[in-house]
Amino acid sequence: MKIFKTLKNGIIDENPIFIQLLGMCPTLAVTTSAINGVAMGLATTTVVVASNLFISIFRKVIPDKIRIPSYIIIVATFVTLIGMFMNAYAISLYESLGLFIPLIVVNCLILGRAESFASKNKPTISIFDGIGMGLGFTIALTILGIVREILGAGSIFGLQLFGESFKPAIIMILPPGAFLALGLLIGLLNYVQKQKKSEA
Amino acid sequence: MREIIKIGLILLLIASIAAVVLGLSNGITNPVIEEVEMEKSQEARAEVLPEADEFQIVELDDVPAGITEVYEGLVGDEIVGFAIKTATVGYGGNVEVITGISSEGEITGMKVVGHEETPGLGANATTAEFQDQYKGKSAESEIGVVKSTPSNENDIQAITGATITSDAVTKGVNLVIELFNNTLDI
Amino acid sequence: MELVTIAVSAMLVNNFILSRFLGICPFLGVSKKVETATGMTMAVAFVMTLASIMTYIVQIAVLNPLELEFLQTIAFILIIASLVQFVEMFIKKASPTLYEALGVYLPLITTNCAVLGLTLLNIQEKFNLIETIVHSVFAAIGFGLAIILFAGIRERLALADVPESLEGFPIALITAGLMSIAFLGFAGLV
Repeated sequence: MKIFKTLKNGIIDENPIFIQLLGMCPTLAVTTSAINGVAMGLATTTVVVASNLFISIFRKVIPDKIRIPSYIIIVATFVTLIGMFMNAYAISLYESLGLFIPLIVVNCLILGRAESFASKNKPTISIFDGIGMGLGFTIALTILGIVREILGAGSIFGLQLFGESFKPAIIMILPPGAFLALGLLIGLLNYVQKQKKSEA
Repeated sequence: MREIIKIGLILLLIASIAAVVLGLSNGITNPVIEEVEMEKSQEARAEVLPEADEFQIVELDDVPAGITEVYEGLVGDEIVGFAIKTATVGYGGNVEVITGISSEGEITGMKVVGHEETPGLGANATTAEFQDQYKGKSAESEIGVVKSTPSNENDIQAITGATITSDAVTKGVNLVIELFNNTLDI
Repeated sequence: MELVTIAVSAMLVNNFILSRFLGICPFLGVSKKVETATGMTMAVAFVMTLASIMTYIVQIAVLNPLELEFLQTIAFILIIASLVQFVEMFIKKASPTLYEALGVYLPLITTNCAVLGLTLLNIQEKFNLIETIVHSVFAAIGFGLAIILFAGIRERLALADVPESLEGFPIALITAGLMSIAFLGFAGLV
């Protein structure tokens, strides 16, 4: 029961992007297409799960004074590992995410979970916290990627949706589109939540 | 004082474990990465100069800026053309292009192999529609970029909304033409 | 590349916030008042320039000759983290007034992706030391330009009548989007 709650907490109640507004840089930068959003989300999920697990295991060994530098080293190690393996086995994704793979290190979401959850909880539940938060992040990125890809390129996961006559709004996959799409999406969520509340 | 040393040692230990882990996995992935990169370039070369059976790197003494790799394409012992990689400045960063040119001075193909251009605009330089425009152009004159349907034989049509990228790609191909006329044409 | 091109490109065309999406957290977090935005900019500019120089030297003098390029991310983030600590201690001793002005922003800078992003970009673009410094200084100015202008807009926006659902972050993001459209206009400069 606790596991389910932790998962739901990460995906819905405390969704890293829509509710906590953490990790904005990769969110805005890589969501030019749905597939990029999924890839970035999964890479981040892997890092947050692995670092949560390790930090939780060693939480009693790491002295309090140097916990932040230690967390940074652990996170940076996993990020570099992910980068290496993506470069070797998924080069096109590696190239399209580019600079934002090493920048996973400074995604506030990961250090935030390490500090506020993994350093205080047992390994098993920390893993699920990582999975929940990671999936919440992935889902948000995918939604944003889908919206921007449909509006900005007229396709979804690379499949063309419309005929020749459809002129996509290219602005949506340019930088401004990232801000506009996320702003309107969060606004929409706020609106839906308010409607729900007034009904209840 | 003692505590500082202890803390320092622990931090050092964590850092060394991290370095060892990364070193090991670097040993595993590095050969794979190199192989993938080589395969990619090899495929691109075969695509732009399909006539050639194999490629051999050419070392030139005085390479003009922008040219990064020169390969000659061979059928048996005969040189049938060249596959040349260039890097020019585009909108978001360097645009890397491999151009194939036959010994007769005809562009046999062009492929954009690396870029940081805007998705949906400059990134359209990787589409076959754009790249095929270069096929069959002659090395007698430079290639020009126009915004509407080209009337001149050696002009290509720019990508809509991405003139800078089109210029960068064309500059790369023109560098190849120049190199071919000045150095490689025997 | 020419230094002027690097400068204009770092400051306007490839503005760190509005076009590269680096440093969004402080951009949204500390832009409610022009005053705090200015303080943050000063602290970031300071760390960015120092970090660029140090990471450049480490890359050229240590990582490249020893073929340890794969340790780049880990080395750079540790340099930035210790630099931030050091700067904090130094300013505290040397100028308590400056410390009071910048103090609260300093710890936030470690996880500011603009700093790590900048140091990685310097290496990726194969800049030499002078180009690295120019790139860093102008990237910081561009960062400041975006965040201070944005803070100015938000100060006025606080009084505006915004649809209830869009209050707070959504309207801030939409405003940033409109600013980003304006910055697209600089594209032809380089």
